[in-house]
Amino acid sequence: MHPFAYFVTSPIKIDIWSDIACPWCYIGKRHLEGGIAALGADAPDVEIEYHSYELSPDTPLDFEGSTVEYLSKAKGMPVERVEQMMQHVTNVAANAGLEYHFDKVAHTKTLKGHELLHLAKAHGKQGEMKERLLRAYFTEGGRVNRIDELIGWAVELGIDADEAREALESGRYAADVQADIAQARAYGIQGVPFFVIDGKYGISGAQPAEVFSQVLTQVAEERDGAAA
Amino acid sequence: MSERTVESTDAATPTPFTMVTGDPAAMVCDGDVCDIPTAAVE
Repeated sequence: MHPFAYFVTSPIKIDIWSDIACPWCYIGKRHLEGGIAALGADAPDVEIEYHSYELSPDTPLDFEGSTVEYLSKAKGMPVERVEQMMQHVTNVAANAGLEYHFDKVAHTKTLKGHELLHLAKAHGKQGEMKERLLRAYFTEGGRVNRIDELIGWAVELGIDADEAREALESGRYAADVQADIAQARAYGIQGVPFFVIDGKYGISGAQPAEVFSQVLTQVAEERDGAAA
Repeated sequence: MSERTVESTDAATPTPFTMVTGDPAAMVCDGDVCDIPTAAVE
């Protein structure tokens, strides 16, 4: 290693475009975490930043039916087929250590949740908030569009309730959410999760943990090679 | 190509990134329905 490499090495940046109402985004998050953990002591330092993406802008703000009912109606798919899909996702999530309850999921727009993620980023707590909102949505049946519920999760993470309310009611971060979505469009991102490693490698979908391990190892080796 | 070299392609990809091939069956959500290959649920 170059003698000055220690001074110039920065964490490997991992940019992730994802939505809250995205079952494969939560699973992909776990796979990424697993891929990093699998490298053990050899794991490079990483810096993870989540970017907003709205999968379904036409989703009603407060759809009162179940996810199965919504998808069946919106896509013209038989209920049995949708239920089969949900069960498959639930099984894959369980294999990743996640507990999905689609019977509880409150299908809704996610923009306010994304605004909260940007507020959390300003507090250095974006990763924790992403985890909290995904768990709320898929496991607990939380309403990620309702300001009062969002404030509750903000407070859980140590963010002041009044600040959270002001930020969400004023739409302080709405432009940042839209900027993320516009950036995804400019990058040609058509589905999520979408991972960008070190601004260089693109990874689409909830890839297995080994894929993340492999890419991170390669990037670290490329950096070592450049610093030598 | 070393054993660890990431398999990738930049052919026909609209993104500015070198796309990692990985598992082509990896799931992605696009719109309000997530892509789940039929074979995977049978």
